[in-house]
Amino acid sequence: MTHTFRTLIAAASIALLASCASTGENTSTDGTQTTDPAAQTQPGAQPGQEAYSYSYGQAPDSYEGYDTAGGGTGGGAGGRQGGGQYGQAGRAGQYGQGTAGGGAAVSADRVVYFDFDSAEILPQSQSVIDTNARYLSGNPRIITQLEGHTDERGSREYNIALGERRANAVRQVMIARGVSPQQVRVISYGEERPAAGGQDEQSYALNRRVEIVY
Amino acid sequence: MNWVGKIAAWVVLLLGFNLAHAQITLDITKGASGAGIPITIAPFGGTSEDIAGIIASDLKRTGKIAPQPPQSQADYAVTGQVRSGGRGAIVQFQLTGVQGGKLLDLSFDVPSEQLRPVAHRISDLIYEKLTGEKGLAGTRIAFVAGGGGTWFLVVADADGQNPRVILRSGQPIMSPAWSPDGSRLAYVSFEGRRPQIVVQDVYNGARRVVSAAPGINGAPSWSPDGRRLAVTLSKDGNPEIYAMDAAGGSPVRLTNGGAIDTEAVWLPDGSIVFTSDRGGSPQLYRIGSGGGGAQRLTFEGDYNARPAVSPDGRYIAMVHRRNGRFHIAVLDLQNRQFRVLTPGGLYESPSFAPNGKMVIYSNGQRLEAVSVDGGVKQDFALRGSVREPVWAPYGR
Repeated sequence: MTHTFRTLIAAASIALLASCASTGENTSTDGTQTTDPAAQTQPGAQPGQEAYSYSYGQAPDSYEGYDTAGGGTGGGAGGRQGGGQYGQAGRAGQYGQGTAGGGAAVSADRVVYFDFDSAEILPQSQSVIDTNARYLSGNPRIITQLEGHTDERGSREYNIALGERRANAVRQVMIARGVSPQQVRVISYGEERPAAGGQDEQSYALNRRVEIVY
Repeated sequence: MNWVGKIAAWVVLLLGFNLAHAQITLDITKGASGAGIPITIAPFGGTSEDIAGIIASDLKRTGKIAPQPPQSQADYAVTGQVRSGGRGAIVQFQLTGVQGGKLLDLSFDVPSEQLRPVAHRISDLIYEKLTGEKGLAGTRIAFVAGGGGTWFLVVADADGQNPRVILRSGQPIMSPAWSPDGSRLAYVSFEGRRPQIVVQDVYNGARRVVSAAPGINGAPSWSPDGRRLAVTLSKDGNPEIYAMDAAGGSPVRLTNGGAIDTEAVWLPDGSIVFTSDRGGSPQLYRIGSGGGGAQRLTFEGDYNARPAVSPDGRYIAMVHRRNGRFHIAVLDLQNRQFRVLTPGGLYESPSFAPNGKMVIYSNGQRLEAVSVDGGVKQDFALRGSVREPVWAPYGR
């Protein structure tokens, strides 16, 4: 059922891209624009770095592992190009597949789900976390980003905090399994990037998650 | 073209597609029904702009004044005309009582493309004359639109017309907050795939990243004098409230503990109200301007979050949950009366109008506004996903 749904969504997103191509619209490659181009400033000096500069503790020795896994766009404007693709993948509900490249696991094995208003790791999530923890501790140069998400209920900034709490809960388990803290970064998107768009319990359950992104 | 180039081209086309089809329009579908002061508004001659229609729409939306068909009996009548001259157009109008007395008789000399703002100004003058309250027709709102690939930060007139996209981004935009003078917006942007707090001048577009610490950079709120921001940062391991200079600089921590502390707003006296789950569930607490002991403010229901303060500091609007449904509720700090303003659902993000009489919010799909006494409701119909409305102060 889930697989069929994802296939449909993938087909729909390809159709969307095709229709985009036919419009011939052209804009800047820049993902962020103010209405006054003269006044526009981009935070972060190095576009290749800015997407990955979030870290607990000190920065890792190399961004290489994460960079290539993030879509292979490399340096230069790669961060922003990856960002645009990432947004599209998020809408299609297969965001993990679109962005994650490292590791041998498939995307279903990189999502940890949660109960409402809870950051407690459920028993059924242990194997997903353990598998990824084993991969990380065996590949100490690989960096992962844990992306915390919530369903849409409640206030948005509180949900940002809740998403971070979920991602940190997964991070703590990974560290307890021997993963170096510097291999595991955390970001929360709260309710801003749902995996499923419905306003029903089934969609909410899919949205309360932490994605393990390589 | 190599495959990296192809991805870049797709991104270009995708962004163009989304911008072209975003259709950020915001229409008022219904004003408050029922009673109101009856008034007639005759068509303004000398222009193709429907000034009388704009005034009627503005007044109807207040719920306190009821525009009537032109030939009806009414307590008050508005007449006016436009002629060319001066800086472009001279707009003259009169408000007359049924007894025949002229209550207002004014003229405006404006550039000819400024007729819509003049119509809003006339609406506010009439509203203030008849009710004694300051009007909202000439004010603005900001909100976030889009999602799923492209996000927009938009500023529009309070009737939803004249929307201007002041930021377009391939990453989420959140939590816009107006500076007290109405010239700047602080907001959260995930550009570069990390959250940061940005302050942007809405007139010239100049923007500055004021916080990009490790972890959460969220929930900006302006101090009453517009010189400082309260923000949520998790750089020290846990979401806490900090105060910092609005131009950037070192944040000073105001809360401590293992709980989530976020969504701070300043009261006119300098104290701060915020959301915390230190008691188990999210509730609102109040601290002094320098931090210190927190006083719990909310006890109704099982979830109270995202406070907004009325301009006079008397009321706190919030997201409130009871029986599993989310509402907008208002707490009166003077008499501790707690009032639920909505039927329940996915309501969020309340913001007070600058006259303190209305609260605008999202119902999970669209924007609505309701009077603090619950008696007047406005719907904003729109296409696409629109949320996090914030009503601009009167400002300059």
